[in-house]
Amino acid sequence: MPEPILQVDGLVKHYPLTQGVLLKKQIGAVKAVDGVDFTLGRGETLGIVGESGCGKSTVAKMLVHLERPTAGSIRYKGEDVTELSGRALKAVRRNIQMVFQDPYTSLNPRMTVGDIIGEPYEIHPEVAPKGDRRRRVQELLDVVGLNPEYINRYPHQFSGGQRQRIGIARGLALRPEVIVADEPVSALDVSVQAQVINLLAGLQQEFDLSYVFIAHDLSIVRHISDRVGVMYLGRIVEIGTDEQIYDHPTHPYTQALLSAVPVPDPEAREHRERIILTGDVPSPTNIPSGCRFRTRCFKAQPRCAEEVPLLAVPEAFRGAPGPAAHPSACHFAEEKQVVPPETDPRGDRFLPPADGPGRPA
Amino acid sequence: MLLEVRDLHVEFRTRDGIAKAVNGVSYAVDAGETLAVLGESGSGKSVTAQAVMGILDMPPGRITGGEILFKGRDLLKLKEDQRRSVRGAEMAMIFQDALSSLNPVLSVGDQLGEMFVVHRGMSRKDARAKAVELMDRVRIPAARERVRQYPHQFSGGMRQRIMIAMALALEPALIIADEPTTALDVTVQAQVMDLLAELQREYRMGLILITHDLGVVADVADRIAVMYAGRIVESAPVHDIYKAPAHPYTRGLLDSIPRLDQKGQELYAIKGLPPNLLHIPPGCPFHPRCPMAQDVCRTDVPPLYEVSATRGSACHFWRECLHA
Repeated sequence: MPEPILQVDGLVKHYPLTQGVLLKKQIGAVKAVDGVDFTLGRGETLGIVGESGCGKSTVAKMLVHLERPTAGSIRYKGEDVTELSGRALKAVRRNIQMVFQDPYTSLNPRMTVGDIIGEPYEIHPEVAPKGDRRRRVQELLDVVGLNPEYINRYPHQFSGGQRQRIGIARGLALRPEVIVADEPVSALDVSVQAQVINLLAGLQQEFDLSYVFIAHDLSIVRHISDRVGVMYLGRIVEIGTDEQIYDHPTHPYTQALLSAVPVPDPEAREHRERIILTGDVPSPTNIPSGCRFRTRCFKAQPRCAEEVPLLAVPEAFRGAPGPAAHPSACHFAEEKQVVPPETDPRGDRFLPPADGPGRPA
Repeated sequence: MLLEVRDLHVEFRTRDGIAKAVNGVSYAVDAGETLAVLGESGSGKSVTAQAVMGILDMPPGRITGGEILFKGRDLLKLKEDQRRSVRGAEMAMIFQDALSSLNPVLSVGDQLGEMFVVHRGMSRKDARAKAVELMDRVRIPAARERVRQYPHQFSGGMRQRIMIAMALALEPALIIADEPTTALDVTVQAQVMDLLAELQREYRMGLILITHDLGVVADVADRIAVMYAGRIVESAPVHDIYKAPAHPYTRGLLDSIPRLDQKGQELYAIKGLPPNLLHIPPGCPFHPRCPMAQDVCRTDVPPLYEVSATRGSACHFWRECLHA
């Protein structure tokens, strides 16, 4: 494990539900994030997957301090960010930057690309003195694969993929150490997604970045992540290396999630075992007792309604070191291979030419 | 053949000029068959479907050529009132975004029942009973109670089931599903696709599934038509295309899916951007992005070459692509 750069402990975000106009009374809470722990190592990519409403975006917002946690701590290089304010907070925020999902709404349409990418320097003038900014922005455009001459253009003059590159350039402007990317490619066309993923992977090498990569596309998360955490209803239910999660999942939710992903191979159609979950995700205002997944779980027992399973290496695997021995919040965790061993219908014959023009050098 | 689209051309008049959205699309679906139309945004896949359904906005849209034969009749020659009796009753459409396709101020029972009142002349009471029956069919729990509820009271997956119920109401021969699961989570997506496939088998409907997801296609389709810049660039049975694509664009799409043995390496990426429909490149519209492009591709539009009796590819070099 590389030296940790972010340590998240017991992170909670509850949004109060109130009733009444004058005498506001709290009648409940939306428990968007309800106890999340993880560590991000330097230079590492942690993927976070989960369905809509599981709290993954709220975690992202808390990491970059767009939301204040209700409880818990976020330590950046050992220092608890949630307790900081003023100048000390500003210094930390410079080092943790975000790339947003929707390149259509996250760029101000009235600002030029140069102003958008250069805006972080207004807040942190110490990074780039005024006379130097234009040159810096042009460098950044070049780094993300856009023509530096585009500096005076407006967002609407770019395609979705190019706009996402602008968003990435803005995220890089302050030379951060951590980038939190919330669904950075899900709004893009398939042929453009791969370009942006390659860009992110290349930048990580070049600038020694650590990524928290949030997405719902499991195959993209696997491609880019060193470790993966699976979230369900405000909590991480299973976390481990990509191999542990994808090839040796022990939590029933992870297994269902993996088995539900359509495989791009028509031959797999017949001999693929799928776990189809019944029902929908419960409301975060009314979280089931015990294990929060039990209402949809195909393994649920009476114990699951009473006892909250902790995110730890399940007892059954504690003695035996192996890929199944990783934290999984289930009383009845057992290994189950749900994704068939990779079979490529095309074989090796159809690998693209290594030097083809489609491959960036 | 249930539906046959022949050499369809659709344009849109815009402020900046004429956008050629569909440029000679031909495809066919038979009863009980699933045709997947695969393409990225702007490829013309939805516009073709809207032309088939007769719900294209005209103007600014304009059908400039082609035929849409449904059960042997050319729909483009029908009058609007004849067209209306086909739409809904004989062919129906499922949209991507159920929340904005349902009327927020009518209960789901009223919306489902409306189909029977308008097309079958049923009384409101009988229509309500039919609505409950339909909701049962698409496995919405407690249908009898929920029939009075409004769309916002249902989850995304349940709303998509209501859309499916509405499309099935009059037992049409053809269903067009435009990205039916794109807005849903994977676990819910699997439920909805399973339901759709099951109902299709049961009623032996033709299904046109419009999608950009190569995984969903592999799961349910019999045939695929891949669209690019308003043209079909490859058309084939589903097994053939995944084994060996005969068009460089299809190959690029398949290669850009992350694979296990490529972890840590760069993903294959199709270079460049999809074309602007106001200025489609001359010759093969894919040539500026194609790794195999030659001089002939810059000048001559490739016809849909016959690769085999059941396959076609609009690439001058389909042989090289197939055996690359």
